[in-house]
Amino acid sequence: MANITKKVSWSSRPDESGAIGEGTPLLNGSEQQRHGRQLISMYVFISYLAKYALPDSDDVCLLFFFNCNYFKFQSLDYDNIENQLFLEEERRMSHMSFRCLEISRWVVCGLIGFLTGLIACFIDIVVEQLAGIKYQVVKENIEKFTEVGGLSISLLLWAALNSAIVMLGAIIVAFFEPIAAGSGIPQIKCYLNGVKIPRVVRLKTLVVKVCGVICSVVGGLAVGKEGPMIHSGAVVAAGVSQGRSTSLKRDFKIFEYFRRDTEKRDFVSAGAAAGVSAAFGAPVGGVLFSLEEGASFWNQMLTWRIFFASMISTFTLNFFLSIYHNNPGDLSNPGLINFGRFQTDSEAYYLYEIPLFIAMGAIGKFKNFFFFLHTKSYLRGLLGALFNILNYWLTIFRIRYVHRPCLQVMEAMLVAAVTATVSFTMIYFSNDCQPLSPDNTEEYPLQLFCADGEYNAMATAFFNTPERSVRSLFHNQPGSYNPLTLGLFTLTYFFLACWTYGLAVSAGVFIPSLLIGAAWGRLFGILLAIWAVPGKYALIGAAAQLGGIVRMTLSLTVIVVEATGNVTYGLPIMLVLMTAKIVGDYFVEGLYDIHIKLQSVPFLHWEAPATSHWLTAREVMSSPVTCLNRIEKVGTIVDTLSNTSTNHNGFPVVVQPARLCGLILRSQLIVLLKHKVFVELARSRLTHRKLQLKDFRDAYPRFPPIQSIHVSQDERECMMDLTEFMNPTPYTVPQETSLPRVFKLFRALGLRHLVVVDDENNVIGLVTRKDLARYHMGKHGLEELQLAQT
Amino acid sequence: MSFHTSCFLFIFLVAQFHTRVSCDVVDLNVLNVGDSPAAVHAAVFKPALGWSSSLSLLLSSFPEDLEISEYCSDLLHIFGQRYVSYVNCLVPAARPVKVCQNCFSSYGSLIDIYRNISDEVGPGNVSCSISLLHSDRLMVVYLLYHNLEDLWTKSGCEHCVTEGFLALTNDTLYFMTILNQTHSCFEKYHQGNHSELCTNCKDTYRQLNELFSRMEKNLTLCIDIEDAINSTRKMWSKTFNCSLPREETVPVIAVSSFMLFLPIIFYLSSFLHSEQKKRKLIHPKRAKSYTSLMNIQDKQN
Repeated sequence: MANITKKVSWSSRPDESGAIGEGTPLLNGSEQQRHGRQLISMYVFISYLAKYALPDSDDVCLLFFFNCNYFKFQSLDYDNIENQLFLEEERRMSHMSFRCLEISRWVVCGLIGFLTGLIACFIDIVVEQLAGIKYQVVKENIEKFTEVGGLSISLLLWAALNSAIVMLGAIIVAFFEPIAAGSGIPQIKCYLNGVKIPRVVRLKTLVVKVCGVICSVVGGLAVGKEGPMIHSGAVVAAGVSQGRSTSLKRDFKIFEYFRRDTEKRDFVSAGAAAGVSAAFGAPVGGVLFSLEEGASFWNQMLTWRIFFASMISTFTLNFFLSIYHNNPGDLSNPGLINFGRFQTDSEAYYLYEIPLFIAMGAIGKFKNFFFFLHTKSYLRGLLGALFNILNYWLTIFRIRYVHRPCLQVMEAMLVAAVTATVSFTMIYFSNDCQPLSPDNTEEYPLQLFCADGEYNAMATAFFNTPERSVRSLFHNQPGSYNPLTLGLFTLTYFFLACWTYGLAVSAGVFIPSLLIGAAWGRLFGILLAIWAVPGKYALIGAAAQLGGIVRMTLSLTVIVVEATGNVTYGLPIMLVLMTAKIVGDYFVEGLYDIHIKLQSVPFLHWEAPATSHWLTAREVMSSPVTCLNRIEKVGTIVDTLSNTSTNHNGFPVVVQPARLCGLILRSQLIVLLKHKVFVELARSRLTHRKLQLKDFRDAYPRFPPIQSIHVSQDERECMMDLTEFMNPTPYTVPQETSLPRVFKLFRALGLRHLVVVDDENNVIGLVTRKDLARYHMGKHGLEELQLAQT
Repeated sequence: MSFHTSCFLFIFLVAQFHTRVSCDVVDLNVLNVGDSPAAVHAAVFKPALGWSSSLSLLLSSFPEDLEISEYCSDLLHIFGQRYVSYVNCLVPAARPVKVCQNCFSSYGSLIDIYRNISDEVGPGNVSCSISLLHSDRLMVVYLLYHNLEDLWTKSGCEHCVTEGFLALTNDTLYFMTILNQTHSCFEKYHQGNHSELCTNCKDTYRQLNELFSRMEKNLTLCIDIEDAINSTRKMWSKTFNCSLPREETVPVIAVSSFMLFLPIIFYLSSFLHSEQKKRKLIHPKRAKSYTSLMNIQDKQN
């Protein structure tokens, strides 16, 4: 058979497992203890995959180390529980109230857009003000010391300022909310995929994220504020749609109907779209981003609502920024990053016609043009892949060795200091002087050793917020940078950005990759000097670099096209993104996928791994299954829930001996226990209020742990009737179903549990997301990942 | 300019002999004059076009308003004279730029006359603004004036000239004094060693630069000042080579290599001090785990 399947060798030698990997140091469990989760020990996902990715890999399988618990991740319940309570409530609802629901969905989407826009606006203004102060101080200092000597003091000042600001950002992230680190896009991707990552959509996360991103951008790290906008948008959506804040203990008693995973997820995808749209001024790009990266459950109305949210968000940002810039009504700041308008579109079009015209005479030239574009994106794809590989090693190193919060803060400070140092050295030794001109938009021109009336060109790239550098790379006239400057800038910034991503600060990777790409592209444009408009090359290069790193295709094309406001660039941008993705995928996955994998998230891709049809549900499922009887003793339920070694979340409900009649979730059981819905009590108290769906919603999403529910010894003997509350029609499959079929069910329906039954409808197993995510396509065919405990 | 104007007048003079408003006028135009009435020609044949509306209006009211009044032609004449004198002033002041200092008064008088043409109503309630400015497609007077107005705006001269074009502002005069001081200083030392110049003229040069940046902040710059400072700076930096030298290479390199060394220490120490932990495999609940493995292998074979 063609596919060689390898089980990771250790699984066949269970007796030796204790001695495995003694030589490989591992992280300790401090992270976990910090979260008070001592009960569950550390687990480590072992994978075969890293074998070829890590240079120091020996023959033994390599380990993935995680600073968070694999079992911490739970699935979201996207499947609607159609129990009797639900049916009753639906019967009670009038036609009118369904209308109201629909309207309130629109209202929520509008609010999401509005608030996301406001947050973007806030971030933008604060960053601009603070960065302005910082650069002003440093600039004055440099000017002073250029004359009297002692520039190394300015260097130290710059480094110290950077580190201090970054320290602030890193402290809040590392000590208060580690989930807010990074861009947040991988987390949102997972959320939309159906994985519930703890604390990812909390208000606290949002606050930390916003403050953290301000600190890291002002601190001069090679980061952008665009990625975190997407996370912020998602948090806003998750908060607004619930009509209450659990963190603030406020319940506005609105939107109660939306308090379940299915509805919330729709809003979160709207929030992510609104975030993209605020970040790039690209509403359509935002919608497509949600489509590409996340939601697998789309319908036309939802898309339309998401588009509405995106539009509102970009408009809000635009409107408030126009007020801030003192010309209200001038809606020309649609996004956080503004690529500026490429005014020479007539030229651009002309540009593509050149090869066409030449093609009429000589087809070779025409090919040349596309070949040329492709070589470029080839390079870019390679660079993107290199970035990802370097970052991957770095991340593994960080997970292994730099996991304590204080170490993380120190690391972030060091990176900030080194960034400042490198920038300063570059500027100091640069001989590239350019004349100041009135149409030059440099905010903080540094003169240093240039002639009077000229400024240091290296400083425009380094001594600036990354957004501005990108814009000046796109738009400064030809000749404002010399090739050496650009080359050095690209090289250093590449390593800086690669080093920075993955620090414990909240920051995005969009802008640094755009910046690297823009510098590269501009360099390319200058060196070839064919069409003499290096700005365009900068744009194409930026798109390709970004594509090479994040590997988005459709949405990225649209985002770039929208951000430049020029549809004519659509074709070349699409071509370079395509090539960058193809080339990059040959070497390594996209950055976000790498980080998702490193966090050991049970992420389901679009398709089941290839050549997995021979695997059946019987081999995939977990068995035996902990089942509950329809009328079950409370003691049994409490014991089952309290069992920490299993920590199951869904329990098939059976009638003796094992015939399936429903499925009930842990969260439901907990609510039932809390309200003491026992058969005996119901009999004795006739006036006992009947439990309603509202009680479940009120407990959502933070169901109390079982330990906090007190059940007396007498009550343990009571019985509980689950008939009313269980989902009477769970999805089931026969045991011969193939893995891709099961996979498809999970992906398309957003399932959490899938019961495997035999011919007589007896429960024989249960498939969950984690059972499916174990399989993946490796170098040697289908591989299964194993879990290890430390 | 004068040629165009006279052609224009000539059409009207010729047309005066005709009493009817008809296509004859056009014929006549074509016959009598050279190139300039081609526009009029086109205008009459395409009266629907927007830009010709004022002209066709004029033509339709031919019998009364054909001749421009004495008053207007006088104005036109004066306009011509002042225009010429302003341009005569501008050209020699082009390099080094002194267009503001030298020509502000002639620009003032040009503005005066243009205002007379465009606003005021002279004897007999004749408005020269229509007859002189807006009577044809070309609108020569208007165009000429606007070219110069553009030039004036671009030069930013209004920042250096007082209200009413009476004199240069005090700031400008002060700047010019300092500039002269600097230049005379340059003059004094430019023989021989330049480093002497650099030290001796530094004070006035810095004063000049400070003044300039102050004026830049106040937005009281005009092209004369910008150009003067540009050439002075060029002299200072390029000709006399007085730019600041790069002297502190060693300390900067030392400090930055120290900074670059820090992360290496950091990573090394965290690498060496990390703790090790044992771990063991977890065995997920599987139905017939071993048999299923067997099954897989069976299927493979």
